[in-house]
Amino acid sequence: MSALRFVCFCLCLAVSAACGAADGGFTSLLNGKDLSGWTMLPGKQPAFAVVDGLLETRVPGGSDLFTVARYGNYVLRFEYLLSKVGNSGVLIRCDPKNPWGTGVEVQLLAPWTPHRDDLHCTGSLYGYVAVTNRPDETTGVWHRMEIRCDRNVIEVSVDGRRTTVADTRAVKALDAKLLSGVIGFQSNHSKQGEFAQFRKIEIRDLDADQDYVLAGFSQTDERFRVQAREAAVALGPAMIVPLARVMEGDAVMARSVARQALFDIVAAASAPQAEAAARDAAARALREALGAKPSESTAGYVSWLSGMLRK
Amino acid sequence: MKSGIGRRHFLRQTGAALAAGPLIARAQTPPSERVRVAHIGTGNMGGAHIQAFAALPEVETVALCDVDSVRLAESAKRLVQRKPTAKPETYTDYRRILERKDIDVVTCATPDHWHALVAIHAFEAGKDVYGEKPLSYSLREGQRMEQTLRRTGAVFQLGTQIHAEDNYHRVAEIIRSGALGRIGTVRLWKNGGTRGLGFPPNQKPPDTLDWNLWLGPAPYADYTPVRCHGSFRSFFDYSGGVFADFWCHIADVLFMSLQPEGLSTVEARGEVPGDGIADTPKWIDADFAFKGLNVHWTTRPPPVPGAEKMSIGAHFEGEKGTLTCDYKSRKIRIGKEVLDDLPDVPVTLPRSPGHHRNFLDAVKSRGLPESNLPYARKMTLPMHLALASFRLKRKIVWDSVKEEAIGDPAANYLLGRTNRAPFV
Repeated sequence: MSALRFVCFCLCLAVSAACGAADGGFTSLLNGKDLSGWTMLPGKQPAFAVVDGLLETRVPGGSDLFTVARYGNYVLRFEYLLSKVGNSGVLIRCDPKNPWGTGVEVQLLAPWTPHRDDLHCTGSLYGYVAVTNRPDETTGVWHRMEIRCDRNVIEVSVDGRRTTVADTRAVKALDAKLLSGVIGFQSNHSKQGEFAQFRKIEIRDLDADQDYVLAGFSQTDERFRVQAREAAVALGPAMIVPLARVMEGDAVMARSVARQALFDIVAAASAPQAEAAARDAAARALREALGAKPSESTAGYVSWLSGMLRK
Repeated sequence: MKSGIGRRHFLRQTGAALAAGPLIARAQTPPSERVRVAHIGTGNMGGAHIQAFAALPEVETVALCDVDSVRLAESAKRLVQRKPTAKPETYTDYRRILERKDIDVVTCATPDHWHALVAIHAFEAGKDVYGEKPLSYSLREGQRMEQTLRRTGAVFQLGTQIHAEDNYHRVAEIIRSGALGRIGTVRLWKNGGTRGLGFPPNQKPPDTLDWNLWLGPAPYADYTPVRCHGSFRSFFDYSGGVFADFWCHIADVLFMSLQPEGLSTVEARGEVPGDGIADTPKWIDADFAFKGLNVHWTTRPPPVPGAEKMSIGAHFEGEKGTLTCDYKSRKIRIGKEVLDDLPDVPVTLPRSPGHHRNFLDAVKSRGLPESNLPYARKMTLPMHLALASFRLKRKIVWDSVKEEAIGDPAANYLLGRTNRAPFV
């Protein structure tokens, strides 16, 4: 699992390097030229293409589009335009093999069917959580959407107004969904000739933010503590000094998560196939943590861990 | 030490007489044939040792030791209830027991992280040892135990009492007979794993507990009750969880039956609990490649007939049939037939007179008891490798001759531990 996360982390780095970092910690997920960093499932007609710098889907019933990288907690923002009776959606925290079963769709829908209520309109967590502020659903113009996945809270905003707030733990069916996964865009779910377009797709990965990850160590829900631990491990040697600092705190829960995360980071750095730079960075960070003169038990643990990196 | 060896020599001579007529010898045990026993660690298993040894006619229980004075007083009381003539001295520090020249045998039922050190110090003091499983906290400690045993000539029995029962002997006879053909795969399992134990704050240890001595060679840690009695196995500082608790019991039937050799790779998967301070496996599955034999450990029953209802078990897959067993039962499946036994397979293995009895006999004859140290160490070694693989989240490639992980210094590092001074 952590090896997988590490691979994902590297992929994220590669994607951010390819697409270039944007402002406020946001990274573009679309390079405007092709679908690097994205994938469509084999066996279905490819339904997405980059046309004139825009991502668009026209083929009805074709393959949905998924990020290669997985994300747990993040802020995703993008602009979208729907044709007159356009129908698409954003799939969050899903497994591409079973996107609707494992994840949730944030709906994008033209207001063409009167029975599409607040539980199924644009901005809703389709079928699970209704919008409380119905957004502007005008078709043929660009709208901005922001989706924030913050552990158990999922928030959706359209054009700067919050439409939906969901506590996943309050909805039984949502509570059973994945806590991290790929991000997907649904292929044209309307008829031939309709379309949806997207631009300025950007993400801020909250699990790449040290303070956000460390705050997760004190979550009362075990699943989010485990998620935070895995995020810390994916961040690698850079987390060693902050983790050693957590071990010096009074919070038993956070200390215990930090202890395990430290072990897993050093264990990964000690792998025969690990890069020398990662090993050296881990060894250096452990020395730095010891230099801060921690308590006897933390110092003992940190110096024991450093033994794993000796050749 | 000298006098200990002298006493042993004496026991060896009387042992021969005992072998000739054990019933007579046991009926009236002269003082010279008495075995003076001390028990170190008086919790659940220690309590069982005290009772089991007290029931042997030539045993004189002379000393009890525990770092918890409440447990110590209770165990002394229970012993005297059972055997009103017993006058055990009580100790907090096992080293005081080892200093006594009049003690022949010590049993050890401390937490796992003390097993090796107590045994090694006891061997050096000229004592024989009946020690609880697992053999040792680390693989390197096991090596040191065996080296010390060879140097001192002590007798050691691992407390895998199920070994002594009929079932494992019969399984071994059936497997070794070849009736099931060559065995290519063995599946071992034990249901369940470590629970998190919540996030209790540290506190001052009770006045009745010598926490520093309880920790002994393990890294210093502040006290909280769950780290200690009853749930210490939930922590890698002291043990390796349910897996380390039960590996020896069920791997025993594999090693009795097949004596697997040439271990080359070990790969474990699993998870630590997320709901508490415990850090040993919530679940662990591991694959072991021996020469010509694949062994798989799982935390759930494997998908083989009959396993679902067994909380612990071993399943042998042969070319002609399978055998599925636990401590007391076995089922043989050949084609569509399900059998409890194969009457054509002759009884060839001598049965044990009981695990404690077998040990005492070896103490007297200076022979090898049934769960002797070299055997126990071989059987325990894969457990250490699986735990290291679990922690590192990677496969370990093993040199079974040098007993070293190949190309993975961190794996070798986790197979030993520098003891906390002065507990070396």
